[in-house]
Amino acid sequence: MATTNASITISSDITTNPITISKSMVMHKFQSNVGLEETTGLQAKKFAATTAVVIVENTEGTAGKSSKVYIRNTGTSNEDFFYVAFNASAAAAATTETIGKLYGGDWMLFPWAATAATSHDITVAPSTTDAMTLEFMVFQE
Amino acid sequence: MATTTATVGITSADLTPGMALGISATTTLYQTGTTTGLELLDMGAGKLTQASGADALAEALGTVDTSNYVYLCNNSTDVEQYIKIGIHDTLIGNLGSGEWLFMPWNMGDADAEINIEAEASGTIPYEYAIFKSTFTLPAKT
Repeated sequence: MATTNASITISSDITTNPITISKSMVMHKFQSNVGLEETTGLQAKKFAATTAVVIVENTEGTAGKSSKVYIRNTGTSNEDFFYVAFNASAAAAATTETIGKLYGGDWMLFPWAATAATSHDITVAPSTTDAMTLEFMVFQE
Repeated sequence: MATTTATVGITSADLTPGMALGISATTTLYQTGTTTGLELLDMGAGKLTQASGADALAEALGTVDTSNYVYLCNNSTDVEQYIKIGIHDTLIGNLGSGEWLFMPWNMGDADAEINIEAEASGTIPYEYAIFKSTFTLPAKT
């Protein structure tokens, strides 16, 4: 059994009294205390077109099992971003669901329901033809 | 201007034998396409039961296709209990006990609410924080 830890710290002074959120978790198998044992490894891919691209196919996961996905835009731009979505297109419309936009430096870590359907392919689409790099990694049972 | 930062750390000594994993990244959360920090925050805590079905954690009441970020943690200690996370009709993933997520949310259209649903019996405590670029108060009824 492998042990994979993930921690998050969010600090903000939006409110008058600054807040700090700090949490850690161990990535477990579905409804279990056993750690996840498989991974795609950390991948990096450079993009230079606005075409939507599937970075994780639903077939890489298993329906009903636990999967986590980490994605990060390694750039520094505050104007250029990647759309992240489920399904074949990552535009704001005409896709199963657009999750959000990752600007330069932004990252996300979320549980992924690999439902054995293309509706749950993880797709990205750059907002620019300027070169941008995405790194991503899937953790799963 | 407020400053909000989010830092992630992912480590494992044995997920990939002979190649310890160590990911660390920090991002500053800005309003859409700018270097102006986010200034809107919605945070809280609650309890879910299976009987309540799917509930909207947050409606897409801001401007469509903007920069917003969601933190959510399942604070249950019962491994049987998990929270189904969705955006409108799309299941994003299952958040197990003790697990958290952090992801962008662009409010892709008016039907892009973040919804949560408890699975397995009992009560699931959760906490959340949503950092927003824009927000429109619901109309008076």
